[in-house]
Amino acid sequence: MKLTERQSDALSELINIAFARTGAALSELTGHRVMLNPPEVAVYRTEELRGALAKFVPGDVASIHQVFAGPIAGDALLLLNYDGAVQLTELLTDGGHKPSSFLDESAREVLTEVGNILLNACLGMFGNLLNVHVTFSVPRLHIETLDELIDSTMTGKAEMHYALVIYTAFQIRDSSVRGFLVIVLSVASLDRLIQEVDAWEAQQGT
Amino acid sequence: MTSRSGMKEASSKETLLNAAVLHWMHGLAAQGIVTTDNKLNVVQWNHWMEQHTGKRASEVTGKNLLELFPELTERRLHRNYKWALEGQVRVLSQALHNYLIAMPALSGEHDYAQMQQAVRISPLSHEGRVIGTLTIIEDVTERVAREAKLHAQIEERSRLLSSEKLARNEAERANRLKDEFLATISHELRNPLNAILGWAHMMRVGKLNESNTERAVETIYRNAKSQSQLIADLLDVSRIISGKLRLDVRTVDLLSIVNAAIDSIRPAADAKGIRLQTTLDPAAGPLSGDADRLQQIVWNLLSNAVKFTPKGGHISVKLQRGASHVEIVVSDSGLGISKEFLPYVFDRFRQADASTTRTHGGLGLGLSIVHQLVDLHGGSVTVQSEGEGKGATFTISLPVMGVVSNQNEVEVAHPVPSENVLSFDGLPSLQGLKVLVVDDEADTRELIGQVLKECGSEVITTCSAAEALVAIEQHKPDILISDLAMPDEDGYSLISKIRALPSERGGQIPAAALTAYARAEDRMRVLRSGFQFHLPKPVDSAELVTVVASLAGRAYNS
Repeated sequence: MKLTERQSDALSELINIAFARTGAALSELTGHRVMLNPPEVAVYRTEELRGALAKFVPGDVASIHQVFAGPIAGDALLLLNYDGAVQLTELLTDGGHKPSSFLDESAREVLTEVGNILLNACLGMFGNLLNVHVTFSVPRLHIETLDELIDSTMTGKAEMHYALVIYTAFQIRDSSVRGFLVIVLSVASLDRLIQEVDAWEAQQGT
Repeated sequence: MTSRSGMKEASSKETLLNAAVLHWMHGLAAQGIVTTDNKLNVVQWNHWMEQHTGKRASEVTGKNLLELFPELTERRLHRNYKWALEGQVRVLSQALHNYLIAMPALSGEHDYAQMQQAVRISPLSHEGRVIGTLTIIEDVTERVAREAKLHAQIEERSRLLSSEKLARNEAERANRLKDEFLATISHELRNPLNAILGWAHMMRVGKLNESNTERAVETIYRNAKSQSQLIADLLDVSRIISGKLRLDVRTVDLLSIVNAAIDSIRPAADAKGIRLQTTLDPAAGPLSGDADRLQQIVWNLLSNAVKFTPKGGHISVKLQRGASHVEIVVSDSGLGISKEFLPYVFDRFRQADASTTRTHGGLGLGLSIVHQLVDLHGGSVTVQSEGEGKGATFTISLPVMGVVSNQNEVEVAHPVPSENVLSFDGLPSLQGLKVLVVDDEADTRELIGQVLKECGSEVITTCSAAEALVAIEQHKPDILISDLAMPDEDGYSLISKIRALPSERGGQIPAAALTAYARAEDRMRVLRSGFQFHLPKPVDSAELVTVVASLAGRAYNS
């Protein structure tokens, strides 16, 4: 399944609304101006996900993972490479440049909260768009290789799934931290989402 | 029938289990657990919450959470409940919020007054509808404190690492400078040494006629003298660097000091055909200062002027008195100083450039010493030059202040060391004196012995403190001259052993110490340890004889 240019543009625009909300929430929380770059959206079959992400995230990946259920269901993840995760928490918590940077429990909590805000904003936006009620699991943070991450996300998914991959970057205090939002959906869920996006786009046009 | 009773059984089991879970949550959970209905009225408030907030469940149930804790709204945390009611799970991290509901921290090894909390707020849904919220609060105070400690340790370690690296770089740089300086020193010390060795060798093989022998002695003397000056400069610099240079401040007559310096430089100036012009105000002195050091200042400036002034040039020396200070101005028609180098003239180890260094030699210490010594006198030294080839003018300004005339300080300027090799004219006779000379270096021992014998004294020499103690008892010498730095036992130890002896066994013998450490602070230690006199190395023959005579209570026989 490929998105048309119009669909991709519409989806980007919608997600950008969620991003603006996330940026505002993070700015208020940290006292620093936080912005998210306008998203770039692409759809991959889950088998292609490995290849699509590998070149962006070598090494260990920090992921904040929330499962959502309801009329549309799937997995929502925020992915950062390890160094980016360390940098992001330091930028958000005034940690400055620590000589030896690692993610301690407090830093992991911060990342979990940041991921939670971003995922809530995006999924909340989808819920509104589709006019459906989606429930979420409590977010979990994992640090593992991309392969391990993909394997654990795909476990128990027999039918074909698609992944909506949204590329962005956090802009904080003259620094930029790149990240990915990955939303794994069943074919049916994705179909429904795209239909609604089309409808929304048509509505915008009128 | 069976299935219905089975279902009933299962359902009652589930009810029991649910009741047990609720009981556990209320009484046993190690987290704070709060549930509300969809109006945010408190439904459950577990024992942990009771313990830490001091509010009993009976006080809070049925009451609105945001009304119970208005702070939640003030801190804009109430929105999390609004979102939870919309179906969102919210995470509140300690790092970004510190806590949800203020509770005192449990005592422990941390500096937190408030309990630090990690919080999850979730919607409670039934059949797709949110019917309430669940809040779970975890006490993370200990963890956060532990992490902070760990971070501090890591930071400290990396700070140590980087400061160690800095120190290592600094040490390497210092080492490199030292190497370069050592190379210069070796070169400068070897130059006079070559002449000394060369001529001494020719004298030993006896291949020199009379006039050449005279020339050889003259050359050896001149070179040894120059080497001695280099070493004196080095010692001065080392004292200046370590802050150990002290002045022997007395009332001094600047005029005679300047004259003495001019006299000692005149032969060198004459040899280069340099005209020395002097304009000395006789009313310039006296002032307070260290006569030796003041003379060194003037001499350094003069010898510098002679060094950098070509044959046939001229040098002028002015001594003039102002209202509050005396000025010594030394001008020459020499090489001059480029604008670029002018600011560095008084820096240690600096000479204008490598090629000049080759031409003119020296360690580049003289002007740095002048600067430091003038500073110590509370004065200032400035330099002016119109540029290369246009000569230079050094101006020293010394304050004239509080000169107290003191009868005990009649000693004005020290006499200029004699340029003559060995002249015993006018020296006191040491006839009939028995002198014990202790030095581990045979050459020094012999030289001193020879000088003393020339003046008529009997000389006993030993090469160690132990031998000296034996000699004192055996020969009962009248005077002791002892080196300080000796292997095994040094001069300080020797004199303290001697002073411990009864006077009939030599405990009161007048004694002078010989040392290369020739400044005030060394002199103090020497005198405190039991010597009456201090003779700096290299030993000046006249001074040696005078000291021995004075120790023996004999006066000049001039």
